[in-house]
This record gives sequence, structure tokens and C-alpha cells, in this order.
Amino acid sequence: MHRGKGMKFVGDSRVSASRTSQIPKDYSEYPGRTEAFWPNFLLKEWLAGAVFLVGFLILTLAHPSPLGGLADPTNAAFIPLPDWYFLFLYELLKYEFASGQYVLLGMLGIPGLAFGALLLAPFLDNGPGRRPHQRPIAVIMMMLALTATIWLTYTSASHVDWEARAAMDQPVPPASVEIDTSHEGYAVYEANCMSCHGESLEGGAAGPTLVGIEYSAEEIAQIAQEGINTMPADMFKGTPEELELLVQFITSVNEQAAE
Amino acid sequence: MLQKIYDWIDERVDITPIWRDIADHEVPEHVNPAHHFSAFVYCFGGLTFFVVVIQILSGMFLTMYYVPDIENAWKSVYYLQTEVAHGQIVRGMHHWGASIVIVMLLLHTLRVFFQGAYKKPRELNWMVGVLIFFVMLGLGFTGYLLPWDNKAFFATQVGLQMAEQVPIIGDELKILLAGDEEIVGAQTLTRFFAIHVFFLPAALFALLAAHFILIRRQGISGPL
Amino acid sequence: MSEEKQQVSRRQFLNYSLMGVGGFMAAGLLVSPIRMAIDPVLKKTSSAGEFVNVGLAVEDITTTPQRVDWQIDQVDGWYESKPGRSAWVYKNEKGDIVALSPVCTHLGCVVSWEGSDKHQNEFFCPCHDGRYTKDGVNIPGTPPLAPLSVYEHKVENGMLFLGKEISRKGA
Repeated sequence: MHRGKGMKFVGDSRVSASRTSQIPKDYSEYPGRTEAFWPNFLLKEWLAGAVFLVGFLILTLAHPSPLGGLADPTNAAFIPLPDWYFLFLYELLKYEFASGQYVLLGMLGIPGLAFGALLLAPFLDNGPGRRPHQRPIAVIMMMLALTATIWLTYTSASHVDWEARAAMDQPVPPASVEIDTSHEGYAVYEANCMSCHGESLEGGAAGPTLVGIEYSAEEIAQIAQEGINTMPADMFKGTPEELELLVQFITSVNEQAAE
Repeated sequence: MLQKIYDWIDERVDITPIWRDIADHEVPEHVNPAHHFSAFVYCFGGLTFFVVVIQILSGMFLTMYYVPDIENAWKSVYYLQTEVAHGQIVRGMHHWGASIVIVMLLLHTLRVFFQGAYKKPRELNWMVGVLIFFVMLGLGFTGYLLPWDNKAFFATQVGLQMAEQVPIIGDELKILLAGDEEIVGAQTLTRFFAIHVFFLPAALFALLAAHFILIRRQGISGPL
Repeated sequence: MSEEKQQVSRRQFLNYSLMGVGGFMAAGLLVSPIRMAIDPVLKKTSSAGEFVNVGLAVEDITTTPQRVDWQIDQVDGWYESKPGRSAWVYKNEKGDIVALSPVCTHLGCVVSWEGSDKHQNEFFCPCHDGRYTKDGVNIPGTPPLAPLSVYEHKVENGMLFLGKEISRKGA
């Protein structure tokens, strides 16, 4: 690189008028073989990325992102659950030693210790050896923490009935259907179902919405009599004629909603 | 023509060294899965960054339709999912990307850990990486609330109650996040939106820049 | 020499492959977001333009322009509202109903019939003294460069229904 007297610049800028050489840095004595970042290395990296992207897009197309019902702060039946990567923390707080008077231990103590150790790992595990068997304590600690996290996440997730949870929390279209209160089935609905499923079938604390359900007329009649999931049997107390009117009413609302 | 434009810019700005430095630097062969298949573990970091790019892109496009307001947030997400062509897919990309990025980040962290790649001289980069992990978890927590559906609302309420338990500053911390002493509502949503879309991404960019600059400085750790 | 030449072509090949893979990734990433972003351009199902009863009986329409105000049901994405509209309605010499938009084609102020004492039998815009004849045509020498827009209209059960606003720019 040219230095000192005789340097030329572009105009009055700091950009040098004489071009520096473009020979890449010398790695010939670097241990092990190397290759250029562009294009050799990047091509393989991007091939892996392309395969990954295809998998990712397939996942996205196969599983549409879920949207629950509009947040209802008065919905007391809803069991809060965090996103899956916080489940381990959620589960940890169920244990006796991490709740009640020890809640700080469970919330700040244990996770703080674990994440603090993770942050400071290079200083806690500061020996020269890099191979796992040269630093057994660090590796064992990591294995324990990892196993505990996976196990906590698994325990927490296995207690949840994900399908029932999703069924409880269906999105109701905002321009909610207009309920035809003059329908003969509405009176039957009012007498038998409204206390749980809401005035306009929107669902409530004890029952899900009935708008946008995918049951046939026979299935609706059956559910009304025999119950489903958390719904007990014999909630419907009426004559078969009334049942038919009720089913007609619910299906008519759903047909309207489907438009 | 393109060459002339390039030369015109290069004469004034001298950009060649910038990209030559990036393009020509040598990467050790032992990280290339084409040479040893087991080297695929070195891909996790790059894939994490790739998902971050997906998140930034899909997130930018999602804000075209999303409003951070408790009256309209859910409606706008519902509209986006049901009425807008490909809206479902773009939200899906952001939704699944949020999970995949945590998985990839975890795998990358484990690779670095079990290879002992954080040892001298790379301690600082490890710490930057762990901070990126925290920022990602923060992005996940704040982003979860934004659709304003039941699971978002109640999960956030629990999260805020946990913040309240922190000794001494607990109450203030909760109010700072929620915007109100009691209510989880309109002010909470705008705060979480601001944190999710501006504050944490800004921190993420700074940390990612530091992460990459350190990698370029120090090179990839050698084979075991 | 020949070896060097081959080296260059190999590098070029790698470069092209890299561009191809990069293009594939960019496309895979961007197709859906861009399709989503341009959706309004392709859909064009704006609810503006449906015929709405403006609450004016046809027999009440005279040859003097009278202002009618009505509300339309507007669905703007996830947001539904009832914004107001207004028009100047009268019957012309042939007995046809004319409904003119009151929005001045100059800079969007609101014009009114005989809005200025100096200019009888004309629409007048107070912002820049724009003037239009009774049929909504701008008077040369005043700021507006196009006639007032007209509303599509129809009559049902003796009531006036107004629909889409049709610009007469360049007409």
C-alpha cells in the first residue's frame, strides 16, 4: 500500500486515486485446506438453504398458522399457555420447590442460574481442551440442563389436549352472523343452549362458539343429546320436534356464516 | 453499460475492496458438508440467519395489513388470513419461522458448545450469541400477543404477572411493559408492538453485526 | 494456460449456479409476500359504487339543484363504516335527473349552487373562485380544468338511488 509523499486522491475526497492491489489475503500457511467464500463456499451453503426453504414452505402450506378467537378478558374457562419454547418455564413453576413462597427460586433463581451459566460458559469452562471428554463437568451440566428442559417441555405439552383447546378457541368472523330471533328454533336454543353458548352462538365461558362448526345435522342433534368433550349429556331437554327445530336453527346460522 | 456505472461509482467511492474482502476470504474446508457430511452441523448458524431473514421479510409485509389496536388487531389478522390472497401463507411463514428460529438457534448453540468452540479467543462471540438468544425469546414473547386472540392475551397476562414477582422493581417493570397498573389492553398492545417491531429488531441487528464481524475477525474454529 | 482457462470457466459455472440458487431462494421467499402486497391491485372489489337510496323522492326533484346527503356502507378491509356522501340533484330541460358531485375538480373543495351572489345560475367554488355551469361543465378562464363528476343514478319505487361517481375528466 502506498503511503506518505506522492499520494493522490479523487478530488478533495479521502478516496485514494491509486487503486490498491486486489490480491486476496494469503492463507497458504493456514492449517487445513481452505476455499473461497464466494462462490465455492456460499454455493454449498445456499444449496443447504434452498433445501431448507423448500421444507419450510411445505410446513407452512401444510399447517396454516392458527388464530384463536378474539381476546376476551372475561373468559374464565381459558387456560393460559405460553408458546412452546416457554413451556419448560411454565412447567417448572408447577413444582413445589418453585412455587408458593419459593416462586422467586423457580422464576428467577433456577432459570437465572441456568442462563447465567450459559452466558458465562467460556469463563466457567476455561480449560484448554475442546473435546467433550476433556471437559466432562461442562458437558454433563449441559446434558442435564438439556434433558431437564426437554423433559419439562414434554411433560407440560403432554398434559394439554391440543385439539380440544383449539376447538374451544375458534375464530368467529367479525361481521358475526345475524341471528334470526324469529326462527322457531331460537326459542329452543334460548331454553337449552344459550346459557353456555351465548346469545348469538358466540360461545362463552363454558361452551365454544357454534358458528363455523363442521357437523352435520345428525351430529348436531346427537351432540345436543349426548354431549361431546367437556359437554355433558342430556343438556337438551325437549321434545324430538323441538330438537329438529333447534338443529334447523343452528345449521341455518352456519349456512349463513359460510356464505 | 453496467460496467461503466460500476466504474463510475468505484472511482468515487472505491467500493471494490469492500466486496472483494467479503467474496475472497477463505473458509476452512472442514465446515463444508460437501467434503465431510458430518459438517452439516456447521449449517445451523447460517440457517438461523436465513430464518431471521425470512422473519424480517414476512414481518415487513405483515405490517401492511396489521394494526396494533385492540379494536382492530384481531380483525385485521382475521382479514389478512381469510380475505387476502397468500395472507395465510405469509402469516404462516412468520408463525412457523418464529418456532424454527428457536430450534435452529438451539442446535447452533449446542454445536458450538459441544465442540468447545467458545474457548479462547472466542469468548466474546459466545456471549454475543447468548444475548441474541435472549433477544429472540423476547421477540417470541412480544410477538405472541400481537394477534390479540385468547391464547395471546392470557399468555401475556401470565408473563406480566411473572414480571410483577421480580423483587423490588417488579411492579414498575410490569407497568413499564403493560402500560397500565391493572389493565392488559390497548396500551399493552402498542408497547408490545413497538418492542417487537422496533426495539428488539434494532438490538438484534446490532448483535448480529457484532456476531458476524467477530466471526470474520477470528475465523471459524478449527476441526476437533 | 489451458488449466488457467478452465479455472476461470469453473469459477463462472459456480457463479451462475450461485445466482441460480440465490434466485430460487429469493423467489421462494418473496412470491407469497409480494402476492399479498399486490392483492388490492388485483382484487378491486371495493364496495364503493353500489346503488344506495338517498332518501329523495323523484317527484321532489326540481329543476333547481338541491343538495342531498346520504350515507354509504363502506367496507374498507377489516373496517366497516358509513361515510357520508353528498350531491347536487336536479332535472335538466329534457327531464333527466342529474346528480353532480360537489367536489371541485380543481383542488377538491366543495362547490355549492349559486354559492356566490355575483354568479347566478352557476356552481361556485369558494376556494379559488372556480365556476361551473348548471350541467357541471367548468367555465373557461376559471381554475377547474374538468367538469364536475356525475353520480350514476336509478329510480326504484319513486325513490332516487345513487351509485358510482363517474369522473368526466378529459371527456
